[in-house]
Amino acid sequence: MRLFFATDIHGSDVCWRKFLNAGSFHRADVLIMGGDMTGKAMVPIVGVNGHWEVTVQEQLHVLDGDAELTAMEKRIADRGYYPVRVSPDELAAMAADETLVDARFRAEMLRSVERWMELAAQKLAGTGIRCIVSPANDDIFEIDPIIEAAPAVELGEGTVLDLAGFALLSLGWANPTPWDTWRELPEDQLRARINELVAGVPDPHRAIFNFHAPPYNSNLDAAPKLDAEMRYVAGGQALVSVGSRAVRDSILEFGPVLSLHGHIHEGRGAVKLGRTLAVNPGSVYEDGVLAAAIVDLDEKKGEVRNYLLING
Amino acid sequence: MTTATQEAPTLFLRKATGLVKGWSGFDAFAYSFMSVNLVTLGMFYSLATFAFVPDGSPIASIVLSAIGVTFMAIAYAGLIAVMPRAGGDYVWQSRILDGIPGMISGAVVGGVLLYLVAGAAGQADPIPWGAGVVGVVVGAAIGRLNGGIGFILAATGWWFILAQWAPIYGAILNIEFFQPLAALTGQLDALTFLGSNDGIFFVSIVVILLTTVLVGLGMAGYATVQRVCLWLGLAGLAVMFVLMLISSQEQFKTAFDSANASMFGVEGAYDKTIADATANNFFTGPTSLNLFEFGPGTLMLIPFMLFWILYPNWGATLYGEVRGASDFRKVLRGMLGGLWVTALLAIVFIVLAAKTFGWEFYNATNVNFLYYFYAYSDTATLPIWSYPPLIASYLVDNNIFQMAMVIVFGAWFLGWSGTLFLSSTRMIFAAAFDRVLPAAAAQVTGRRAVPIMALVLILVPSVIVSYLYAYNIEGFRALTLDATLVIAVTFIGTTFAATVLPWWKKDLYQNSPLARYQVGGLPLVSVAGALATIFLGWAIWMWIWERGDPSVPLYAIGVGNSNSILWLGVLYGTALVVYVVARVVRRSQGIDLGAIHQEIPSE
Repeated sequence: MRLFFATDIHGSDVCWRKFLNAGSFHRADVLIMGGDMTGKAMVPIVGVNGHWEVTVQEQLHVLDGDAELTAMEKRIADRGYYPVRVSPDELAAMAADETLVDARFRAEMLRSVERWMELAAQKLAGTGIRCIVSPANDDIFEIDPIIEAAPAVELGEGTVLDLAGFALLSLGWANPTPWDTWRELPEDQLRARINELVAGVPDPHRAIFNFHAPPYNSNLDAAPKLDAEMRYVAGGQALVSVGSRAVRDSILEFGPVLSLHGHIHEGRGAVKLGRTLAVNPGSVYEDGVLAAAIVDLDEKKGEVRNYLLING
Repeated sequence: MTTATQEAPTLFLRKATGLVKGWSGFDAFAYSFMSVNLVTLGMFYSLATFAFVPDGSPIASIVLSAIGVTFMAIAYAGLIAVMPRAGGDYVWQSRILDGIPGMISGAVVGGVLLYLVAGAAGQADPIPWGAGVVGVVVGAAIGRLNGGIGFILAATGWWFILAQWAPIYGAILNIEFFQPLAALTGQLDALTFLGSNDGIFFVSIVVILLTTVLVGLGMAGYATVQRVCLWLGLAGLAVMFVLMLISSQEQFKTAFDSANASMFGVEGAYDKTIADATANNFFTGPTSLNLFEFGPGTLMLIPFMLFWILYPNWGATLYGEVRGASDFRKVLRGMLGGLWVTALLAIVFIVLAAKTFGWEFYNATNVNFLYYFYAYSDTATLPIWSYPPLIASYLVDNNIFQMAMVIVFGAWFLGWSGTLFLSSTRMIFAAAFDRVLPAAAAQVTGRRAVPIMALVLILVPSVIVSYLYAYNIEGFRALTLDATLVIAVTFIGTTFAATVLPWWKKDLYQNSPLARYQVGGLPLVSVAGALATIFLGWAIWMWIWERGDPSVPLYAIGVGNSNSILWLGVLYGTALVVYVVARVVRRSQGIDLGAIHQEIPSE
């Protein structure tokens, strides 16, 4: 069985399309999206006197006609940002009222996930490829029912799914971050959730952990150190471990065959923790490149046969 | 689509992991500044070589070198803006240099290398030409494979050659720190040991252990050390400059003679230094510094300068998301600040050296020592090098002050040396994650996350090469500039990648903040990349073909030195073998390394 695992695409349309195509391209049986699907930024495209104005990467563009507008929206969405058409008054109102920005963000996130689920139905229909999506700490809770209702996609979060005799346990929650995101838990509570999931697995050695947070001190969790004002220390050269101790301890205790992680985009790598292969494919979604892991599992022996980290 | 100006919010961010307020441009400057290290690299080698090209203009050579490296810095800053967090040369080259650009890169490297190696092995024409053709074919084939040329250039420039840098670092620590302290404390036995081959090997091992420990500490801990070292080193430099500024040449001569008489019993050391250089025909240069004239040998000095000034891009990586053009400018300012501030300080230094030390003496003492150290001469005027901070400290007749100066200037070494193996471990990790190296190469220990196997892969060759260097086996010590040449070859792969980026990876480029920067209608990154490629290519040609005149070796690493060429052959050959073996072994395991950089269709 071949797994294709990607994570942290943060709203990038092009990465999602590549993810859906990866099954046939890399002959994968199962696609797993490790979470943090939703975008972090919203780019206003302002309608002014019959044309549109938008600033992308600090450069202002004036767009004439639908073709230019559509092309720019695609460019923005491929990068993982939400292009939003607004009037000057709407923009001024959003600038003055944070709740309006939050509401618009929420609407855009839900709309994009709905669109992605429809695209998945089109792309995966009749292929026999399973697609499992598990939201993570940067994703709002409202996207879970949309994924659950999608015909071509299975919701992973908080479940144990059978993959040809392997048990896939998914958990998008992470240990606390400086950003106070949606799905964060103290280490002890995180460990309790992991234990609950593992309790439903007859043989933990045939388990696959799909836990968004990487294990602490594994090199899969090396992130640039921040100071108290959320600025990089030493220009980003100073790296520190920010992973989860609960995840690390549970991997070492239960010894799953494979452990899939994301969360730390700079933490690309694969390491052995005890008998477990732990993988974080990293993320470079803003480049339009889908960082992913291809893992071949031997169903009879219950072990990892091969793996490869790719930039697709 | 046109551009205009607009005043209103242009971007809304929500709370999400990884969004930070920014980063300090000063950090980028500091890192770059310490990498083009005025004291450890500049004074130790580049700024000590002016005597070898007496008709060259030192100041013009520094300025021209900095201009050439500026183009390279622009190309690197551009790639950082296009692919932040990508991880440097290995990833950039692997992701950009596929297909035709990869084949061109591989063919050039393979063809030139095999031609040179066949010649160095004593083969007469037409065999080297035939070998060159084979090299072109093999190189192009490797370049066509996704990631092939990227691995070979990055493994040689970021891993293998750092084994040669280890003993060079050792030599720097030895002659800039341990030997001066031994002399100042009257430990002449220790000084004799440190100056021996055994001593050089010993200090190389000390450096290897020191930098290994610093890898264990990690950059988070080392960053603090670096910051302290930066300010301490600058304070020491300021004191040195003031001393040199307020002292006359006569005062210096008296102080120098007095110090050497009391430490080593050498009377009239100042005049003896000049006399020895002249008697041994080491130095025939001008007796005064030519400030502004562009001497005919100026260009010949540039390959010497690159030993020191080539690295403002060292460790340059941009972290974080939702970045724009201002981040490109910030990265570039950091690199160029480090480069040009250092170049300016170097010019101030040589002007002051000419004024206070005397230009003739400064060159004579350097050339005496270099000839002795690199084994072209059996005798030395003095048992230690006239390390500029040390001899400037003689102007204050106080032993404690002199020792303090040497120790404070040690900060230039401590704040710089820690990245020696850190860079290599990152390269080894990336290759292991790409399955070119065994997975064990990226394993880390439990508690401190120390990359044990990666360190072994660096330490073993470092110790071997340190032995070759310390005992000068086959004249190995003279191959010092190879350490720069191999890195320059890696850099040229990246500048070439930057040149073709806007056309070869159009979407990637167009979606980056770099797309707005143009020069004469051409992408800035391409113009800078092309100019940097030409500049580096010219420097490599100068090193290899000795300015077109191999009968008069100047850089000692070109076609006139078969050991140097064979050493290059060993480095690139090893990288090629590792890569080919990895492809074959992985294929037998059912792993296609070509899939790593294959783009998945998006429609």
